[in-house]
Amino acid sequence: MSDTAVKDPGAILKTNLWTSNPIFVQVLGICSALAVTNLLTNTMIMTVGVVFTTAMSSLTVSLMKSFIPRKVRMVVQTLIIAFYVIIVDIVLRAYLPEVSRNLGPYVGLIITNCIIMGRAEAFAQSNGPILSFWDGMTSGLGYMGVLLAIAFVRELLGFGSLFGMRIFPEGFTPWTIMVMPPSAFFLIGLIVWVGKTIMHRQGEPVT
Amino acid sequence: MNKQSLGYTIVFSFIVCFAFVLVLSVTHQATRDQVQLNQELRTKRAVLRALTIEFQNDEEVLELFAEIETVTRDGMELFRLTQDGETRYAGIFGGAGLWGPINITLAVDGSVETIIGLDIIDHNETPGLGGRIDERWFQEQFRGLRLVDGGLQLIRDGNTEGEDGKADAITGATGTSMSMDRILNQTLRDLRSALGGEA
Repeated sequence: MSDTAVKDPGAILKTNLWTSNPIFVQVLGICSALAVTNLLTNTMIMTVGVVFTTAMSSLTVSLMKSFIPRKVRMVVQTLIIAFYVIIVDIVLRAYLPEVSRNLGPYVGLIITNCIIMGRAEAFAQSNGPILSFWDGMTSGLGYMGVLLAIAFVRELLGFGSLFGMRIFPEGFTPWTIMVMPPSAFFLIGLIVWVGKTIMHRQGEPVT
Repeated sequence: MNKQSLGYTIVFSFIVCFAFVLVLSVTHQATRDQVQLNQELRTKRAVLRALTIEFQNDEEVLELFAEIETVTRDGMELFRLTQDGETRYAGIFGGAGLWGPINITLAVDGSVETIIGLDIIDHNETPGLGGRIDERWFQEQFRGLRLVDGGLQLIRDGNTEGEDGKADAITGATGTSMSMDRILNQTLRDLRSALGGEA
């Protein structure tokens, strides 16, 4: 990937939110994109957790990079990522028990989200701490944006509500398919299609 | 120092693991009481809801729960509440759902002829289909439901409002409805044999 060469914060932002968006360009972190996007509140909390983890683990990896022996590089990165995820899990369990129950195992599974490891390895390992923090955060935000868009459609059509507030009248027949994971496949597919079409029109090289 | 040497790698890995795990244990210890309280509140809330006792906040939950006696019958832990000369029993029960266990609290009158209320503690049913057992309309139809031959049936067709021993099943969730039917009837049988001695 060429974005290791990008050093300008503005360019990093654009790359992570748009041209190299983790979900619809790199197609990473799809598991959670299917699993936790049927209610906006859950999606919001989950993605905030991912933004926090990506930003903080990139920062930490970058700070520690000169001390990490090459042999155990990936193991240490995983340890750092797991550390932040467990912190998120503990905080949710203590202060937001309902959300924690709804998200179930998916908070723990943030550890395996390829976006976080990808940023640690591809960016933080070879850049300064502040830039790495920014790169991690914007990558997380790119993920968050797409997931919230999917959750918006799924909750609206699947439950007739947004953030738990009823939008459609009582008589509305919910689209059950929207509540179930397969609908996220269709929505991600549509987002990839729309995203790539716009990029193509703008003359960006489509990967 | 050679950072690629075996000695450095081992020492480094040890220190890093130790430091991170230490911070985690401290965080875990600091929040342990809160987590335990949350779990306790969850169960207590479910018991109160099954007994159809209204509450506004967590303090009230603890306060109201303090008035309930805990008794053991047939090795079953039950919660007994005597109010206006009527005795009600509630308990925590469970059974197999479609995808995983369903845990409920169920409250009945002293002679196990009427259901006082039902609350779902946790389940893994399909969201939007079987998951609708979480919804109010489903749980409220059991409030004050009189049993027929000591049991009840979840009915697919029509409206069962006002009928004894019958409640509406969930459309599109036959598996979950059948599981609930089975769990409820089993629970009622268990309750009857446990409470049978003291009608």
